[in-house]
Amino acid sequence: MFENLAILQIAQAMASHAALRQNAISQNIANADTPGYAARDVAPFAESYRDATGGAMQASRARHLRGGGGRHAAVSLRSETGTMSPNGNSVSLENEMVQAADVKRQHDLALAIYKTSLGLLRSSLGRR
Amino acid sequence: MADFSSALALSASGMAAQAQRLRQVSENIANADTPGYHRKTASFREVAAATQQGGQVALGPVILDQRALTRIYEPGHPLADEGGYYDGSNVDLVVEIADAREAQRSYEANLRMFDQARQMSSALLELLRR
Repeated sequence: MFENLAILQIAQAMASHAALRQNAISQNIANADTPGYAARDVAPFAESYRDATGGAMQASRARHLRGGGGRHAAVSLRSETGTMSPNGNSVSLENEMVQAADVKRQHDLALAIYKTSLGLLRSSLGRR
Repeated sequence: MADFSSALALSASGMAAQAQRLRQVSENIANADTPGYHRKTASFREVAAATQQGGQVALGPVILDQRALTRIYEPGHPLADEGGYYDGSNVDLVVEIADAREAQRSYEANLRMFDQARQMSSALLELLRR
């Protein structure tokens, strides 16, 4: 009954997107000195969520057609390539740190939404 | 959760590689006065893990710097030739210190990512409480 709540699904998708992105950033930082390494990133959550849900269609019944619904985000090469160092490496540590802070914020936000929604459910059930 | 454990493994591989690089730098500095010593250089390469989309880092084979050795004039030295010169090492201390600083900086970046992935996964586990 409660597993189909859209807000919980969105929060879950956002948290797992943040986890995937954290993975990409860790990979970039680990390879910050590897010659010829190109930085990788994940498409922003807004884009991947729109692609995964297929626009504004909502599936509120079990028989409704689901527009994909799965997780489409994948690690790909970063689109905007910054300055490249002489050995062909395009990772910038400062840039990655900024991205990492962004990912942390996104993950915290998703978990806060999840927690608050669960709290709402609990209080509607009459528990504390 | 699989993403987090993979992120932790990636950061750990980065830290191990940087630590090994720092070790080579200290070998170079320790041997700065060894006659005939060629400095070692670290080469990083990306290794593909079997499970994920790869990306862990490792140090490649040790490459010796083939720059010419410095000629040191010291006629009393046991290794000196007829002209009074012998081959020193080609270690440049300034380069080594800069390399060590860079390795330390990269190590700290990896450590910070490790800590952040750990924080995120433990925040996820906090949801199970209560």
